[in-house]
Amino acid sequence: MIDVQDLTKQYAGRTAVDRLTFQVEPGQIVGFLGPNGAGKSTTMRILSGFMPPTSGRATVNGFDVFHDSIAVRKSIGYMPEMAPLYTDMRVKEYLRFRAELKGLSGRAMRHRVGEVMELCTVSDVRRRLIGHLSKGFRQRVALADALLHKPPLLILDEPTNGLDPVQIRQVRELLTNLKPAHTILLSTHILQEVEAVCDRVLMIHHGRILANETPDKLTRGLRAASVVQIEIQAKGDDVLTKLEALPNVRKATQDAEQDGWRMISLRVEARQDVREALMDLVLKQNWKLRELHRQLPSLEDVFVELAAADRAK
Amino acid sequence: MRLLWVLFKKELRAFFVSPVAYVVLALIMVLSGYSFRAALSILERGPSEGSIVQWMFQPNWFWLSYFFTFPLLTMRLFAEEKKMGTFETLFTTPVHTWQVVLSKYLASVFVYAILWLPSYINFHLVDWITAGQVAIPPGSLKGSYLILLAMGLFNLSIGCFASSLTSNQIIAAVVSFSASLLHFLGGLFIMVLGRKVSETFVDITNYFVSMEHIRTFTSGLIDTRPLVYYSSLSVLFLILTHQVLEFRRWKP
Repeated sequence: MIDVQDLTKQYAGRTAVDRLTFQVEPGQIVGFLGPNGAGKSTTMRILSGFMPPTSGRATVNGFDVFHDSIAVRKSIGYMPEMAPLYTDMRVKEYLRFRAELKGLSGRAMRHRVGEVMELCTVSDVRRRLIGHLSKGFRQRVALADALLHKPPLLILDEPTNGLDPVQIRQVRELLTNLKPAHTILLSTHILQEVEAVCDRVLMIHHGRILANETPDKLTRGLRAASVVQIEIQAKGDDVLTKLEALPNVRKATQDAEQDGWRMISLRVEARQDVREALMDLVLKQNWKLRELHRQLPSLEDVFVELAAADRAK
Repeated sequence: MRLLWVLFKKELRAFFVSPVAYVVLALIMVLSGYSFRAALSILERGPSEGSIVQWMFQPNWFWLSYFFTFPLLTMRLFAEEKKMGTFETLFTTPVHTWQVVLSKYLASVFVYAILWLPSYINFHLVDWITAGQVAIPPGSLKGSYLILLAMGLFNLSIGCFASSLTSNQIIAAVVSFSASLLHFLGGLFIMVLGRKVSETFVDITNYFVSMEHIRTFTSGLIDTRPLVYYSSLSVLFLILTHQVLEFRRWKP
């Protein structure tokens, strides 16, 4: 669906996107992940045909974004960052205007506008001026706009930005429901979002790809250390030293103590499991244990680690 | 063609949901009403040379005030979309840049044409009230409104161009006002210098300054040269506007 080869974009004296190469298969939801200023929006603007790349090539649905711009625009629904809209129009009016621009007309257009308003739960505000709507509603009007012409590819720049938790969940459900028929490329800097909806993660930092994996593989196959949290009843100052003496335990720290129960976190070497050895130690020492929990590294940890590795290079 | 119509409707609507069209309409009605009254007062003084149409359109101050309309009508067109970021949504739909430029320009021309309707009606009112006693030469009337339209096409295209250059409406307004006014003042300059410069210079300048065009058209002489001159300049500025907007797509 998307094929990007060596895509580079330079602004005066600054490289926003640096030799990006990736593919997106049809029917996937791909999360574009990275901190602010990583080059996500720039890449999306290039893919939508709004800006040309400095060098490199990108095709969408088989059309070159530069040479076949109109054909590309017909195959994408693009929602820019911050959801810019005409604030002096009413919701329904705006969507009808947009639908007509995208080639719909007559009864089919009116029907489709009603449909996307339902889908994005903006039917209740259809007569309101867009300028008077809250951020969350505007965001969903922009999303409804992107869906109007049933494009095979949706490019959404931070679709859940500015929404409240309930609305975020609604949008995520909506995206998951769209999945079989639509390919979705969405950008975000919220890691849970990627974990919740995406089939694949494209991690980008300083305009370069750090990782291109499934969220699962990314967290599992990581070098980042995992953490085991325990709550034990044990006396003595050498408890932490004894825990640290276990193989593969990097560091033990006591987070809190309450009624004689000590909450301790153990940082464990990557891809190692210390839980059995830990249990043995607890039994041998005659400690009491009431909680044992292994925390896998989040995408956040992965990101921090990959970014650090990238800097080191 | 269909897209052009869709865009045109939207632009026209934008003029009438915001106060802009009404403010400009009120401005033009006051100014042209005043000019009209001044022309009538000449009539009250007794028989004199010329016609009420010429008295209304020939004084320079009528034209000076007239230049306020162009920045008001055009400053918003592109600058606002740039500022709001709606260019991004607009140009990621399958529209061509020329369709956007033309629709915005035509909408402003349409509003501009509406602005002059009340003053046109004024002449017919006088004709009706005085039962045809006041001479309103039809050629002179047609010529006046034709030159008004031709100069409008030109100045609105300058306004479009100015608006495409910036995301700041004030800057767009200042640029278009200055450009329109400078072009017009060139004519006044020649009038003031009069015979101090060589005749050939005056003749050549008269081809491209408005003063002479206004004089001939308001006397009922319809000359095709100024019409071609103003429409080709309008096309030129629309092409420039198009290039400014297209530049975004080519800038490496």
